[in-house]
Amino acid sequence: MNSVRILVIATIFVFMLLIPVVVASGNDSYIFDNELQVNEGITIETSIHIEVVDVNRIPPERAKFRITSYQKPERTITVFREDGPQVNKYETYRGTSIYFDVIGVYSDSVQFSVSGPSNWRVTDYYDVETEEDLEEVADAVTVPKLKITRTLDIASVQQGQTVKVTFKIKNEGNGTASEIELDESTITGAYMEGCPASLNDIAAGATERVSYDLKIIDAEPGTYELNPTLLNYKSESGASYSSESTSNVLVIVAEEVLVPELGIKVTIESDDDVITCGDRFPAIIRIDNIGNATSGRVTIKSHLPDDVRVADGEIDPVYESIKPGDFVEYDVTMIAYEPGKHIIKMDVLWADAEASASAEFWAELSGFDKYYIYILAAIPIVLILLWLIKRRREYSF
Amino acid sequence: MLNILILGLGQCGNRVLDAVNHEAFGSGGTFAKYYSRQKFPASVKTIAINTAINDLKGLTDTRAKDRFHVPHLHGVGANRTLGKKVFDDNKEQIMSEIDKRGSFELIFIVTSTAGGSGSSFAPLLVKELKKAYNAQIICIAVLPFREEGSIFLQNTAFCIRELVAESPNGILLVDNQYLKKYAGDIKSAYDKINTSVAMRVLFLIEALNSEMLMVTDLGDLKTVMNGGIGIGTMGYYEAGKDGTIKSAILGSFKPSGLLFPTNVYNEGARAMLIIKGDKKYLDLDLITKTVEELSTDVGQVFKGVLIKKGRPKVLSLFTLNSVPELERIYADAADAIRFEMDKREQSKKQLDGAFAHIDDLEPIY
Repeated sequence: MNSVRILVIATIFVFMLLIPVVVASGNDSYIFDNELQVNEGITIETSIHIEVVDVNRIPPERAKFRITSYQKPERTITVFREDGPQVNKYETYRGTSIYFDVIGVYSDSVQFSVSGPSNWRVTDYYDVETEEDLEEVADAVTVPKLKITRTLDIASVQQGQTVKVTFKIKNEGNGTASEIELDESTITGAYMEGCPASLNDIAAGATERVSYDLKIIDAEPGTYELNPTLLNYKSESGASYSSESTSNVLVIVAEEVLVPELGIKVTIESDDDVITCGDRFPAIIRIDNIGNATSGRVTIKSHLPDDVRVADGEIDPVYESIKPGDFVEYDVTMIAYEPGKHIIKMDVLWADAEASASAEFWAELSGFDKYYIYILAAIPIVLILLWLIKRRREYSF
Repeated sequence: MLNILILGLGQCGNRVLDAVNHEAFGSGGTFAKYYSRQKFPASVKTIAINTAINDLKGLTDTRAKDRFHVPHLHGVGANRTLGKKVFDDNKEQIMSEIDKRGSFELIFIVTSTAGGSGSSFAPLLVKELKKAYNAQIICIAVLPFREEGSIFLQNTAFCIRELVAESPNGILLVDNQYLKKYAGDIKSAYDKINTSVAMRVLFLIEALNSEMLMVTDLGDLKTVMNGGIGIGTMGYYEAGKDGTIKSAILGSFKPSGLLFPTNVYNEGARAMLIIKGDKKYLDLDLITKTVEELSTDVGQVFKGVLIKKGRPKVLSLFTLNSVPELERIYADAADAIRFEMDKREQSKKQLDGAFAHIDDLEPIY
């Protein structure tokens, strides 16, 4: 009886374990994917703390993480590179799972990813206070020294997009920094959203991370240098200090507008651009969509000289659409009747736009047309000559 | 329409035939053949027959396909015996060439009596044509210049005798010796004689084939040619500005218009008169009266009147009861033959005498 109860409980336990995994797996996304040094940590959803304890590059490469979360005891796990995320799982008190995957191991850092529910975010970055740090604090003069580092989540942004700017402020001194004021300049056409003007006190050795969104509204495309961020603060004794970050480069590219753009080309096929009057000659018309969107209905309209006729083919076709990068090509056979210079003009019309192209060619009379008067004049002479020859032969014995 | 064949035999016959073809082009001159067509008054076919190819090449107005070369080197050299053999050897080809032209109601054979090919071919051809065709055959025999040599005279003598023996419907004589006095040099004489004969032949053909005011037809011609000894000649006269139709008719009987020397009034047997001209000149009463007067001297005279623009032209054709000039020719021919015989006998004797010097001798080497 007891063994049956144990089996049922175990089955339920396994089932409960599997369900969240499956759920988490179905909606997983990266919560964190970056590099952390040893003794650095992140906080996910304000309750899950992950710290890098140790790295080892001697194969198999691995990293050791310390994980603490609400209502759960501290746990240390070792993750081997190339294990894959499903192997290294951590389950919270509420049964939600997150997964670890080590991507690269370096001398004193590790690049790893944490995946889990898609709506979870990293809420804090921090340094782990080692015992050595604590000892140094006890011995030092209480002077705060803030080091500010500014990072952009993307270095190139399109008009209309938002750049997340993160300040990492670390108090490398041994005193608490207070009355911290953050002076951040911006670029014309961009709007800072959620950028704090002042910060809370930062204790010695503590690290504070602050972020804001830089919305690119109507800034002109180009490469911008973001001026360093200035940090003014005071020590406990009231002394004033300042520090600044390095500058950053942000590239703003024009917002991509999806419009079709059609080009038309007319090619007259002849050996030397000279057509013989009355002879058929082919013309090839090609319409290219050089834009980045599919066109709507495309109408071709031709403008032919009065003496040029289409002998074969449809010269003014209509196309329902042309995809970007695609083209349509058709050919028609034409005849020019009069000598001289001819210009064939073709329009392509789509939406409210149009494009034109033209082709020139010369038409010349054929040899027969040029000389037919002489030929006509020569015919009776030749006939008379032939007649005379015939008669002479009739009388030659 | 009458179907007529004109055969020109030998050099003389060929040239007379060529003159007929030339006259058929009308007044176009030398170059008429290059732009004009012959206008024969009937359906006329012509063939020039000769053993001498150079004589055929010399023709100018006879089409090449109407020239028939009887292959025997370059003529028979006035040798009638050889000519007859050549004819016999090529008789089938000659008759075949004639047969290609169809059937005929009237055939003219124009030949010299003196040469080799024509004089030897003519009697034999008359014989063959009579067998092959139911047509009237008229021979136009051209007599040579008397000074041309004894062979030509003897050829003439034998040729005419053989012609008469083959009994064509008639023999019309043309005497070069007689006509020569009306021309200057020999070349002009030949040209004039040939043209005169050609004009008369075409005039006769036109008369036989045309609708006339007064009709002469092939039957009349046959009757005329049956008169006398079947030998005759032709006369021609073209009236002057002030001449009457009577003077024109009588003019055609004058020696100057005849092709052979004869006195028509004394020797004529039957005659045919063909008068052509504008109606205003043709007084039928006067014509009839004049012909009646002639009939008292010449015998039966057939008359035909052809209305055509121009001054009156008269062609007379008649047969003779006697031909004194022929007697003279035969006498001369006999003398010539005897002279030739004597000469050859003397030459042979002289040669035999020369050979006699070595009769009993043998060559010694």
